[in-house]
Amino acid sequence: MWLIYLVILALLIPPALAGSDDDDDELVTQEFALRVGHGVKIGDYRVELISVQSVRDGLIEVRVWKRISDVEEWRVVQEHRESNFDGGSERGGITLNVIEIFDEESVSIAAEYREDYGFPRSYITERGKAPKNYPQLEVVKSVDRSDISVGDEVTVTIKVENTGNDTASDVAIFESPPMSQFRYLSGYPPKIKNELRPGESDFAVYTIVAETESEVEVPVVVINYVDDEQNMYTASSGTFDIAIRSKRKPELDLRVDQVSSIKHGGLGFVNVTVLNRGDASAYRIEIHGDISPSDGGIEVVGGGLDKSFFDIPPQKSETYSATVKGTRSGSYLITLKVDYEDEDEIVMQKEASVQAVVLEREYKYLYYVPIIPALVIAVWIFRRYKEYKY
Amino acid sequence: MLNVLMLGVGQCGNRILDAVNREAFGASSKLSKYYSRQKFPSRVETLAINTAVNDLKELKFTVAKDRLHVPNLHGVGANRNVGKQGFWDNRDMIMEEVEKRGDFDIAFVMTSASGGTGSSFAPLLIHELKEQYKNISVVAVVVLPFREEGSLYLQNAAFSMRDIMEVEADGVILVDNQYLKRLSGDIQTAYDKINNMVAERILFLIESLDSEMLSVTDLGDFKTVMRGGLGMGTIGFYQADKKTASLTSAIQNSLKPGALLYPANAYEDGARAMIIIQGSKEHLDVDEITKSVEKLSTNIGQVFKGIVIKKGWPRVLTVFTLEQVPDLELLYSQAAQAIQEEKGRKSRAKKQLDDAFAYIEDLEEVY
Repeated sequence: MWLIYLVILALLIPPALAGSDDDDDELVTQEFALRVGHGVKIGDYRVELISVQSVRDGLIEVRVWKRISDVEEWRVVQEHRESNFDGGSERGGITLNVIEIFDEESVSIAAEYREDYGFPRSYITERGKAPKNYPQLEVVKSVDRSDISVGDEVTVTIKVENTGNDTASDVAIFESPPMSQFRYLSGYPPKIKNELRPGESDFAVYTIVAETESEVEVPVVVINYVDDEQNMYTASSGTFDIAIRSKRKPELDLRVDQVSSIKHGGLGFVNVTVLNRGDASAYRIEIHGDISPSDGGIEVVGGGLDKSFFDIPPQKSETYSATVKGTRSGSYLITLKVDYEDEDEIVMQKEASVQAVVLEREYKYLYYVPIIPALVIAVWIFRRYKEYKY
Repeated sequence: MLNVLMLGVGQCGNRILDAVNREAFGASSKLSKYYSRQKFPSRVETLAINTAVNDLKELKFTVAKDRLHVPNLHGVGANRNVGKQGFWDNRDMIMEEVEKRGDFDIAFVMTSASGGTGSSFAPLLIHELKEQYKNISVVAVVVLPFREEGSLYLQNAAFSMRDIMEVEADGVILVDNQYLKRLSGDIQTAYDKINNMVAERILFLIESLDSEMLSVTDLGDFKTVMRGGLGMGTIGFYQADKKTASLTSAIQNSLKPGALLYPANAYEDGARAMIIIQGSKEHLDVDEITKSVEKLSTNIGQVFKGIVIKKGWPRVLTVFTLEQVPDLELLYSQAAQAIQEEKGRKSRAKKQLDDAFAYIEDLEEVY
């Protein structure tokens, strides 16, 4: 039995001795790319990219540690300079050389090590798995109305929100130069907080007045900010178009209902509707009615054709009615004129007319003149007929 | 104002009454009743009595309430016995209808002497009227038949005339259809003309009796005239025109056969007479009137004259009664002959029937 143990031991020891004697092993160099939070396994060694310290200066921070040992080094290495870890490759350790720093997140590294360590295998570090804290600002620029006409006041709102998980500092807002189509009333240039904690938001408001009829592409607003590590970030809003239409104005429509034929001595009704078809209120509305020929054939006996209103909002209407009496047969033209102003006191005018017919006098009772004698005669004859009927 | 009752009995009497009513409208149009009013010269009440309702329906100018139908008879079939019985059966109803019309001064009962209803009702009606109204004058206007109309009509006329005389009518005005046959035209037109002539003369008479005359003749005079002679008379009438404007000739013409309703010679057979002259003042010459009346008076015992001033050409109406009526005797002889013939025909018919029946006298029906 002891012999068997010895034989087995004898078989095991030579390889162990051979492994400890590594001076004669070949060295190999493998090049690989690393992202922050990622690492490669080279034998028992682990190489992890902690961060890119400076792209410009070619400095990155790496962590190299060896499994089942106390070997662990955090070191900032420089681009194109070899850095030995655990004695370097010559001594069974590992030598790293930063070949290129792509950006803040990724680099290309060449590692020299003993060949028997095998090929490097990539993995995600615990640190890489953990979310990275950095600020992220989202900027939204908006206006309070879509239907804009010349003269309209427009409120522009710039809302900035920190949707990241780190504080944004030195927040600076860069609004483009004033748009020439607008007159800037107040609040410009916009200002927001210098620092925004995660989840915090701020907004800036300014008021402008549309002055020129045109199509406007609203420029972006740019926000610059830095994180705790003084990394600079930039955020910007999207662009959108605004159509500035011509100036709003009132447009009154005067409608007069058809006047039914008026009996001689009878009454008729003139129903008038004033409708503001425009997109601005009409002010100081004065309606004046006129009847031609003015021979008194039609008399206004109630209501009156003249009317005034202080204002009529857009798409609203006012209605009134006048009662007229036909005193002479004929055809008459009732003309109505309306004068009104817009908010700039520009006077406008509209006109409408309607035909009114006064019928001939009816002599309906004249029918009785022949009817009554005829009836009397008929009754007389019938009575005579009955008198003589045997 | 006179109160006059006019009764038209039987078909002929009804038609004369209808003609009177038509004459009262003063127009000849058939439609005059629809647009005109009757203008009787006096208060005239009319009543048409008949047993045949169809005869009453044919009347055009008599109001319905003045048509009295004696019920349950559809004519009496020219049988005076049936007619008399019918009258007695309905006497109260008839007299009540008469009484509704008030009191009267004179009544004219117009009838045919030959028909059934008229010839049987008229004598009885005259009698009843004289019983009912003591002071009333009842004058019968009797139309004699065409002689060839039939034996029944002739005998009816004979007996009816006798009955009328027996009930002491205050006068009989004779109208002879036979005499008036000379009127031209169809039978309907002829009858209408006769009826219109009678109606016109009676209305003229009433108007004259009720007028203010220059020379007075009144109802009393008329009664006196009608009581003269046999109590039978007739009426003559003449209307002058531009061509025959002479009053003398007008008076003479009114007595000529052509102007009379019955063939009579007033100068020879007249008993009493009444002459009524109507016309414009300028046409009524006193001398002419006097001479003409004197001429008539020479032949006739009493002549009443009445003059009515009224615008127009002279119109002369003469009423006279007769002392003798030769044509009436002729009528009665013809009637007697007709009765004999009727009797002979009837006995011959009866004998023929009896002879025929003799064949089955001792036989019985065998089945």
